[in-house]
Amino acid sequence: MPLIGKASPEDMNLHPMKYQWAYDLYNQAVRNTWFPHEIALKEDLEDWEKMTEDERHAVKFLMAFFNPAELIVNRSIALGIYPYLKSPECHLYLAKVMWEEANHCVAFEYVLETFPLDREKVFGIHLEVPSMKAKEDYIFRYMKRMTENTLDIETVEGKKDFIRNLVATNIVMEGIWFYSGFMVALSFRQRNQLRNFGSMINWVLRDESLHLKFGINLIHTILEENAELITEEFAAEIRNIVIEGVDKEVAYNKDLFPNGILGLNADYVNQYVQYVADRRLEELGMEKHYNATNPAKWMSTATDVFELVNFFEAQNTSYEVDARAHSEKKKDEPAV
Amino acid sequence: MAISITKHDGTKETFNADQINRSIERACRGLMDPIAMVTQIATETRLTLYDGITTEEMDKATINAALQNVKDDPAYDKVATRILLKTIYRQVLGDYDKDNNLALTKKHREGFTKYIKEGIADNKLSPRMAEKFNLKELTNTLDLERDDLFQYAGLSTFLNRYSLKNMDQTPRETPQYFFMRVAMGLSFNEKKPTEWAKKFYNKMSRFEYIPGGSTNLGAGTVKSALSNCFLMEVHDDMGHIAKTVADVMMLSKDSGGLGVSVTKLRAAGSPLKSNNGISTGPTPFAKIMDTAIRAIQRGGKKKGALCFYMENWHVDFIEFIDWKNSSGDDYMRMRTANTAAFISDEFMKRVKNKDIWYMFDPAETADLNELYGKAFSKRYAEYVKMADEGKLRMFKKIPAAELYRKMLVSLQTTSHPWQIWKDAVNIRALNNNTGTIHMSNLCTEICLPQDKENIAVCNLASLNLAAHVINKEVSWGKLEESVRLAIHQLDNLIDINILSVKEAEKADKENRAVGLGVMGFADALEKMGLAYDSQPAYDFADRIFEFISYMAIDESTNLAASRGSYKNFKGSEWSKGKVPFDTIAKLQEERDLPVTVTMESKHKGLNWDILREKVKRGMRNATLLAVAPNANIGLLAATTPGVDPRFAQVFSRNKISGKYLDINHNLVKDLKNHGIWEKVKERIIEYQGDISNIEEIPEYIKAVYKTSFTTSPYGFIEVAARAQKWVDQALSRNIYLRTRDIDETMDIYTSAWEKGLKSTYYLHMEPRHTAEQSTVAVNKSQKMGRAGFGSLRKHTAVEKADESELLADSAPETMIVEPMVSPITEAEMPQPVPVVKVAPALEAMEKEMPDNNPAPKSESKPNVRFIGAKTCPTDPAEFNQCDSCQ
Repeated sequence: MPLIGKASPEDMNLHPMKYQWAYDLYNQAVRNTWFPHEIALKEDLEDWEKMTEDERHAVKFLMAFFNPAELIVNRSIALGIYPYLKSPECHLYLAKVMWEEANHCVAFEYVLETFPLDREKVFGIHLEVPSMKAKEDYIFRYMKRMTENTLDIETVEGKKDFIRNLVATNIVMEGIWFYSGFMVALSFRQRNQLRNFGSMINWVLRDESLHLKFGINLIHTILEENAELITEEFAAEIRNIVIEGVDKEVAYNKDLFPNGILGLNADYVNQYVQYVADRRLEELGMEKHYNATNPAKWMSTATDVFELVNFFEAQNTSYEVDARAHSEKKKDEPAV
Repeated sequence: MAISITKHDGTKETFNADQINRSIERACRGLMDPIAMVTQIATETRLTLYDGITTEEMDKATINAALQNVKDDPAYDKVATRILLKTIYRQVLGDYDKDNNLALTKKHREGFTKYIKEGIADNKLSPRMAEKFNLKELTNTLDLERDDLFQYAGLSTFLNRYSLKNMDQTPRETPQYFFMRVAMGLSFNEKKPTEWAKKFYNKMSRFEYIPGGSTNLGAGTVKSALSNCFLMEVHDDMGHIAKTVADVMMLSKDSGGLGVSVTKLRAAGSPLKSNNGISTGPTPFAKIMDTAIRAIQRGGKKKGALCFYMENWHVDFIEFIDWKNSSGDDYMRMRTANTAAFISDEFMKRVKNKDIWYMFDPAETADLNELYGKAFSKRYAEYVKMADEGKLRMFKKIPAAELYRKMLVSLQTTSHPWQIWKDAVNIRALNNNTGTIHMSNLCTEICLPQDKENIAVCNLASLNLAAHVINKEVSWGKLEESVRLAIHQLDNLIDINILSVKEAEKADKENRAVGLGVMGFADALEKMGLAYDSQPAYDFADRIFEFISYMAIDESTNLAASRGSYKNFKGSEWSKGKVPFDTIAKLQEERDLPVTVTMESKHKGLNWDILREKVKRGMRNATLLAVAPNANIGLLAATTPGVDPRFAQVFSRNKISGKYLDINHNLVKDLKNHGIWEKVKERIIEYQGDISNIEEIPEYIKAVYKTSFTTSPYGFIEVAARAQKWVDQALSRNIYLRTRDIDETMDIYTSAWEKGLKSTYYLHMEPRHTAEQSTVAVNKSQKMGRAGFGSLRKHTAVEKADESELLADSAPETMIVEPMVSPITEAEMPQPVPVVKVAPALEAMEKEMPDNNPAPKSESKPNVRFIGAKTCPTDPAEFNQCDSCQ
C-alpha cells in the first residue's frame, strides 16, 4: 500500500502495519497530552504590567499570528493532507495533531483572555497587516490547489501538488515560522518575564517537534515510493518554496520589532530564521542556502537540555501521561 | 544604524563601544584568554542592541551575552557574575571608581553603617540592629572578596529572592551586607552579640552553612517570622476547618511551607454530627486551602506552598490519589498544593503478602490515626473483623498491591502522592512523647507531633559539605565548628522568632525544634572522585552523617546545660539517653522485620556512650537534624541541593528568578585538565548532559559524573538509608527514574521502606521525548537514513558537512542509525535487567549496579544497531519509541 493515493477499503485496516514511525508518533503524542489550564498565568500578568510598549507589541503580534495559524494548519491537514493519505496509522496521528492544533489555539485564546488585550484588535491584525497577510496568502496558495477537482493524486503532478502544500504548511509554517516565533516567545522567559507563558510554549514546541518529524517522514517516504518525483527541477522548486517562505519573514519581523527590545531585534530574528531554514533544507536532502549561524545561543538553556523544575515555582512541563498499571514486561508477552 | 542610549535621566547619548568593551574587559580580568572573551561578549552584545536602549538594559544585554556562552566555558559565568555584582554595588553604594578595588572595598565598608541606619529609619530593619552591636567592628569584618564565591545563578537568587529592596525594587543590600544582617539578626539575645554575629557571618559568607529561606528573608528585619516549616492537623469539625484555613493563610504569609493532615476528616457520605445531612468528605475542604494559598505571595516572591497528608486507610484515599491529576473536575483537583500518602507498615506488609486492604471512615475508626507499630496492626485487625461482620457503616476493600500500584502510577504521571512511612517516622522518633506524628511537612523531612493546641514548627539551616572538602579530604575540625555554630544559631532563632498563629508559637517555644541539613553532598563526592552509587560513597554518607549527628546532639546538650532543656524534654526518648541510632532496633522489633542497612559505624572515634549520658541530662532542642531539599540555598551557595545527585552534567533550571543553564564546573575542570573539553563540549549538550556515550572521555571520569537518570535508583535509597541511621528527623529524598515499569518501581519503593527510609519526595521521570534542539546540529532525515532530494547528488556534500558537524566517527553509508538529538536518552537505555531487581542485601545490590558501559548485544538482538558507543534500546517498548530507528 503506497502512502498517498485514493483511499480504498483495505486502507481502513491498521494491520499489517506498514508505517510504524507514524504509529510511534501517535503513541508519543498521546503521552504528551497537556491542557492550557495547567498553566497559571497570574505572575505573567504582573510581568505584563511592567513590560515596555515594544515588548507588549511583540507579544501581541505573535499571538495575532499564532492564534489563526494553528487553525490554518488544521485546515491544511484536513483539506490537503489527510484526504490523500492511504495509511490508517498516519490518519491516527493526524487526528491527534488536529486536536493538538486546536489545543494550541485554545491555549493562545486562554492567554488572550487573561492578558488585558483588546481581543478584537488582536484578531484583526492578521487580516490587516500586510506582512502577516502575505504569510497566510502564501499558505493559502498551495492549500487552494488541494481543494480543486482537477487535482488527481495518482498523477505525478498531483503528487507534486501534495508535496508543495506539505512543504509550505509543515516545513515552512510549522518548521520555520513557528520555530522563530517560539524563540521570540521563549526569549521573554530568558529575561525572567512571562515564565508561565514560556512553559506553555515549551509544551507547544514539544508537540510541534513531533509534527515536523511527521512531515519530514512523510516527504521522504513519498519520495522513496515515487522516485519519479526526484528531479533537479522539482528539487529546485521545493527549495524556492522554502526560500520564499524565509523571504516573507523579513517584512514580518520588521513589523514584529519596529524598534527592537532588549536582546532581540528584527535582524537577529531574521538570522535565526535563516539558521532554521538551513536546517530544514538539509533535512530535505538539500544544501544549506544561507550558512547562517545561530544567534540565539541561549536557546541551549531554553530548549536543548533537560529541565529541572522547582515544583513550587514553575509548572513542570516534562511530565507525560499514559503510565501503565501493568508491567511493560508482561504487556509484551502477547506478540503484536 | 546609529544606536543611541537612553540614560537614567532620560537624556540620550550615542552608543560608545569603547565604554562597553572596557566594562567587559574589567569583568574578564584574570581569566584564561580574556581578549577572546571580551571580543565574543562585545560582538554578541552589539547584536542585540537597538536604538533607544536604556543603560540598565545595556548591562542586562552584556550579562545575557556572557551567559549564553557558559555552555562553551563556565568562565563566562564568572564574567556575568562580576558584571551583575558591579550593578548591585552601584545600586547600593552609588557610583564608584571601577578601576580601583581598594576604593570600592573602602566604600563598601563605609556604606554599611548607613545601610543599617537607613534601614532602621525606613522601618525595614529592627532597631536592635544598631542598639546591640559595635557597628565599626562589624564593618571591619566585612570581606568583599567573598563575593567571588558566587556563581551567576546564586547571585541572581540572592538578588531576586533574599535581598532587601527599595520601593523601586532595587536592592538595598550587597551580598555581604545580607550575610551580616542575618548573622546580626540571630545574635540579638547573646551576651556578646557582636562577637557571635562575627562568628555566624564568617560561616555564612563563606557558604559553609546557609539558613533556610524564611530566615534569610526575615532575620534582622522588622518582620521576624523566621521559621521554615509548619505541620498542622485539620480536625473533624467545621469550626476547626475554618480556623485551619485562616491559619494556612497566616502561616503562608509568614513565608513557611505547610504540611496539613486531612486524615481526621470524615469520609464523603458519612453522616454529620449536627444535622441529618452527610459529609462531602475531605476534598472540597482541601480545595478551599488550595485556593487560599494561591492568593498568598510568600515573602512577596512565591506562591504559598502546602502538602496535604492522608493515611491510606481513609476510605477517600483513592480520590485523594487523583487530587493532582491534570484532568477532571477542577473542584476536585489541587492545582497548587501537593499530596503525600502516610503509609503504615501494616499496608506495606499486606502489599508484600498480596493481602486485601480495608479502608475505613475515620468517623468510625478515629483511633487508627493515633496508633502506630504493633498497636496499629492490632487495632486495624479488629476493624477488619468488624467490617467483615457487618458492624461498620462504611468501608472499602481493595487488594493492597492494587492500591499501591495506583499510588505508583499516579506518582509516575503526576509525581504525587509522595510516600511517607508512618511507622518509621513515629517509632524512630525521640520527640513524640507529646503525641503522635500525623504527617511530615512540605518537603518530607520534618517529623514533629501536632494536635489541636500545637502546630509543629521547624527552623532550618544547611551545611554545605562541598565547602568542607579540601584536597579530597573532609576538614573534620572545620565541619565540627560549622555544626556547632549552626545549631547555636538555630537555637538563637527561636527566641527571636515571632509567629502569627498562637498554636505555632506555642509548639515552637516548647519544643525548640530545629533541622540542620546538608547540601553539596554530590558536589563533595565529585570533589573526592567518588561515584554517587558506589560503596565508598555510601560509607562516606554513613560517616559524615554520624559525625554531624554527634556534634549536633553534643552542642544541644551543651546549650541545655547553659540555657536549660526544652519544655517537653521530660518523658522524651532523649531523656532516656536514646540517640537516633538506638531507635533502629525498636523499628525492627515493631516490624518483626530487619531494617536492611548495615549497623556498623563508619566513623571511628566518636564515643556515643558518653554522649548518651549527656543527652539524658538535658537537650535544648526536641529535634536536630533534617535534610531539606535546598533548591534555593543550594543554588545560592553554588553547590548541589541537599543529598541530590547532579541532575545532569548540563541542564536548565526553571526558577522564579529565571531560567539558567547549570553546567557542572567540577566536570569541566576535569575535562579541561585532560585536554578534551573543547572536543566534547557540544556533544555534552547534544546528549543532554549525559556523558556516558562520549568515547573520548575516560571511563573513570564517566563513573564519577553520572546523571540522575543513569545513577542506580538503589543508590539514592542506600545513601538515604545510611544517613537516616543518624538523622533524628528525615531527608527529602528525591528519586529519579528512567524505567517506567510499575513492577520495577514498586520494587524500588519497597526497598526504600525495607531499608528504613522515613520518606521519599518527588519522583522525577526521565522524559522520553523532548523538543527539537536549537543550538546543536540536527538533521532528522540523516538520522533516519533518508536522502530525500539529496539522492540527486552522488556522494553528497550533505554527508560530509554532517560529518564535520557531528565530530563523530563517520559511519559507513549502510549504517543508518545515528541517534543524535533528543531520542538519545532512550537510545542510551542501559540494559534494563540490572536496575530492576530488588536488592535485599547490599552486596547483592553492588553486583547489580548498572554497568557503566553496557556491552553491545547486537548478535542476539537483530533489531538493534550500533554506531560507535551508541546503542539503541533493547527493550521493545522503548525501542518502539526510539525515533532514531523510524
